[in-house]
This record gives sequence, C-alpha cells and structure tokens, in this order.
Amino acid sequence: MVRLLPYAFILPPMIYLLVFMFWPLSRQMYMSLTNTRIVNPNRGRFIGLGNYERLIEDPAFYVSLKATLVYTVLTVIIGVTLGVVAALAIDRPFKGRAVARAILLFGWAVPGVAASLIWLWMYNERSGVFNRITELLGLGRFSWLTSTDYALGSVLAVTVWQVAPFVMLVVLAALQSVPQEVREAARIDGADGISTFRAVTLPHIRPSIQLAALLVAVWSIRRFDIIYLLTGGGPLGSTSTLVVKLRQTAFEGHELGMASAYGAIGLALALMVAAIHYTAEQRRMKRMSR
Amino acid sequence: MTTPRKLAVKALRYMLIGILVVLAGFPVYWMAATALNVNSQLYGTGQVAWPQLQHLPDLVTELGNVPIGRWLFNTLLIASGGTVLSLTLGALAGYALSRFKFHGRGLVGFLLFMTQVVPEALILVPLYAMFITFGLLNSLWGLILANVGFSLPVACFVLKGAMDAVPYEIEESAIIDNCPRFSVLTMIILPLIMPSIAAAAVVSFFAGWNEFLFASTFLMDRTLWPASVGLASFVGQYETPMSAVLGAALVFSLPAIVFFLLIQRKIVAGLTAGAVKG
Repeated sequence: MVRLLPYAFILPPMIYLLVFMFWPLSRQMYMSLTNTRIVNPNRGRFIGLGNYERLIEDPAFYVSLKATLVYTVLTVIIGVTLGVVAALAIDRPFKGRAVARAILLFGWAVPGVAASLIWLWMYNERSGVFNRITELLGLGRFSWLTSTDYALGSVLAVTVWQVAPFVMLVVLAALQSVPQEVREAARIDGADGISTFRAVTLPHIRPSIQLAALLVAVWSIRRFDIIYLLTGGGPLGSTSTLVVKLRQTAFEGHELGMASAYGAIGLALALMVAAIHYTAEQRRMKRMSR
Repeated sequence: MTTPRKLAVKALRYMLIGILVVLAGFPVYWMAATALNVNSQLYGTGQVAWPQLQHLPDLVTELGNVPIGRWLFNTLLIASGGTVLSLTLGALAGYALSRFKFHGRGLVGFLLFMTQVVPEALILVPLYAMFITFGLLNSLWGLILANVGFSLPVACFVLKGAMDAVPYEIEESAIIDNCPRFSVLTMIILPLIMPSIAAAAVVSFFAGWNEFLFASTFLMDRTLWPASVGLASFVGQYETPMSAVLGAALVFSLPAIVFFLLIQRKIVAGLTAGAVKG
C-alpha cells in the first residue's frame, strides 16, 4: 500500500506528459520516416529514410542548419557576455540600483510578439528610428531585415535583448553566494580587481554561467516567434533556423514527413547541447570531490 | 582614500551601467513614444522622440477599432486555464519528488528535463493530427492542453523546491493520525508555500499569455485568437496605424513586465532547477 502511494501522486502528471508531449514526440520521429501530407495527417506511407536522403541532397537544408548553428553560437557568446558584464556592473550597491535593475530586465519581460512589433518598427526602412539615426550620421539607410548582410545580425540583436537579462539574473544570484570575506582578504593582500575576479569571483559564478549558456543555447534552437515575425526566415533563408523551416515545410509546403525530418535534426542538436552540458557538469563534480 | 585610479574605475562603471540601461530600456520607451504620437508624423516628418500624453485620447479611439479586448479576453482564458492545470499537476509531481523515493524517480526527472529541451515546434505536427482526431483543433481547450506540457515541469520545479524546505515533522503527526496523504498535501503543505505557488502561477500564466507558435497554428477562427496571434496579424498589413499597433503591444506587454519584475528571482530558480537536478 505504502509503496504504491508515490505513484498516486506522480502518475497523473506523468500520464499527462506522455499523452501531450512524449507520444506526439515519438509520432514525430516516426512521421519523419513517412510521406505524410497535411491533407490526411493520420495516414502516411512508411518510406524509410527517404526524407533524410532528400534532406542531405537539399542545399536549403544546409542553409537552415548553418543559420541555426550561427544563430545559436552567436546568441550564446554575445548574450552571455553582456549578461555577465551587466551582472558584475550592478552587483555592488549604488544609487538607483533598483531602477537600473528593473530597466535592464525589460527585454526579458516583454512578450516575444510585442518585442517583434517594436523592433519591426525600429528597423522600418523608411521611418524606423535606426535609419533616421544612420541618415543623420550620413550613413544612409540600411535594409536591416531584408538584406542578407544584416538580417541575421538584426534578429540576433532582438534575441540578445531578450536573453542577456536572464543571464544577468542567474549570475547576480550566484554573485550573492561569493563570500565577501574572501574577496576582502584578497584585496587586502594586494590583489587588484582583475586578479581578485579571476581567483575568487569567477570560480564561484562559472557553474551558473555555464548553466545560463546551456539554457540560452537550447532556447535559440527552440525559438520561433521573433524570427518568424521579423524575417519569416528570409532573406534567402539566411535566418531560417530548423524550427522556422519545420513550420514552413509543414504548414506552407504541406509536407509533414519532410517537416518531421527537420524536427528530428533540431532535436538532435538540442540533445547534443544538453549532453555537452552534462559531461562538463560531471567533470566539474569529479574535480570538486577529488 | 580615493585615488584618481579608483575614481576613473567608478566613472567607467557608471558609464557602462548607463549604456546598458539605455540599450535595454530604449525599445520599451520607443514603444510608448510611438503609441503616443501623431500617426502622420510617424511616417512623414519623423516622430517626436518623447511620448505626448495629449494624444492618449486619440490612442484610445484608435484602439477601439482593433478587437484588442476580445483578444485579451481569449488570452486571459488560455493563460488562466493553463495555470490551473499546470499548478494542479505540478503540485502532485512536486510532492512526489520531494517526499518519496520510488522506482522510476530518475526517469521522471529525466522526462521533466527533456520537456525543457524539446523544441515546441517538434510536437506541433503530431498534436495537430491528434487534435483533428479528437475535435480539439480550433479550440481553446486544445491549445491549453498543448501549452501545459511545457509549463507543468517549471511549476513542478518551483513547487518541489519550496516543499523541500518544509520540514517533514510538520506533516508527520498528521500522517501518524492516518490523515490521507492527499489531504496532507492540500491542507498542510500547500498553505505553507503560498509565495512559491504564486510564483509558479505567474510563470504558468505568462507562458500561456506569451505563447504564439501553438496558438497561431491551432486556432483558425479569428474570434478565438489570443492577443499574441492578433498582434502578429498586424505584421505586413498597413491599415492599422502604427501608434495603435504599438499601443496594443504596450497594453499586452505591461502585465508581463509588472509580474516578471515582481517575481524575477523565483522564475530564475524554477528555470535553472530543472537543468541542475534533472
């Protein structure tokens, strides 16, 4: 009786997740081996690795894969760097800290669709604030979202605006656990700011930075709303990450099987990121126990 | 003892903070400034760089031409329904993970972690097929069911963390008195962790509030659109004045901004716990 008790609590949520998350997920994996089309999504013929063969031969797939990788890596590097810098900057008390902290969190708190609308307007070629500034500076107008040179960078800027504040929050929480006495002692011993940071602060916040980087990377692979609304994956696929490509292949191209194959690659990427994080985490644990 | 060097470092730090604050705050400021501007100026001579409160009545009139009330009402239904469901299931899972050792505990942790890694888009197509079969396509219920799969685990992490901090002795006497465990959870544990329940509720609520991918795929009927889909429909259409578009976006954003700022620390704890202990 007592042994069954935990299952009375854990089963309802788990059954829910099985029905609405893991069953669909396995269906998706199977669907990538079929030629399912949207007109009759419950009936598709098994075609083995046919979709994947098409994927490998399709240049659009490599464009999408490259966009995903570049977007993810750059978001992590820029987002985490800015987040850490912001956290270190506002860690110590100063006048107006609460207000500064609140404003720094705006990008994270604004819903993705609203963020997209704001930035679409700021990027507007004729009347947006960015082009008004560049015109004032005599640089002329830029096609922020429709030129292959700038589109990915423009989407990145919006993404960083959203994720850097989250990194900042995670790092701020970790900074509070850095023992003040150790920092003081290092300073009294004549260590300057930078070496105190490297010897005392950084080791303390490194696990949090790594964790934030993991989440930011996974979110980049998952992100749909702002990319889809800002560029729709264009121009010429330069911002068509796997997730955007999946949705387009499924609901504009009507090829559910093919879309599922894109999804499988996306899942593999996300799992790889998670696996890298875990390996690093395990190694750190081992080093600490030694 | 302030040396010139220290003073310079301090000045640099304030400058850095200033730059970051401007970068982070400007888009929201610009949203407000655009919403409260004359629309002819926005495209013509260029908008005035500050919000003009005297245009507030114009904005209200413009917003009257947009079904923003209907959209927000649908958003409210989706977000509240999802919150109730994900808190209920999250509390059960959190209690099981906090209080019991059982076979399959590791698997549960792994599955909960997986939900945070799997892209939503990956289950989009199978859910679409499933919802056709069960008549859940084009229905707010279907959308809520899809959303909760992703918010339930976060609610679970937040609540489990709070339950871990409640000493076992508090429920011990009730258990000895043969009080059913479900009542122990609802009568003893949950009232003790109200702040965390509030935090989990806010997280779940705004997951539903902000959600776009599922809503834009599963709801074809315009009268069912939540604000996220409604606002997105402004992209690429030029009949609605930009001041109204961003005014509506502002109305949609304000609740999220207020609540995210209120419970920022708890959200971070919930999102990171899943990846640490998974």
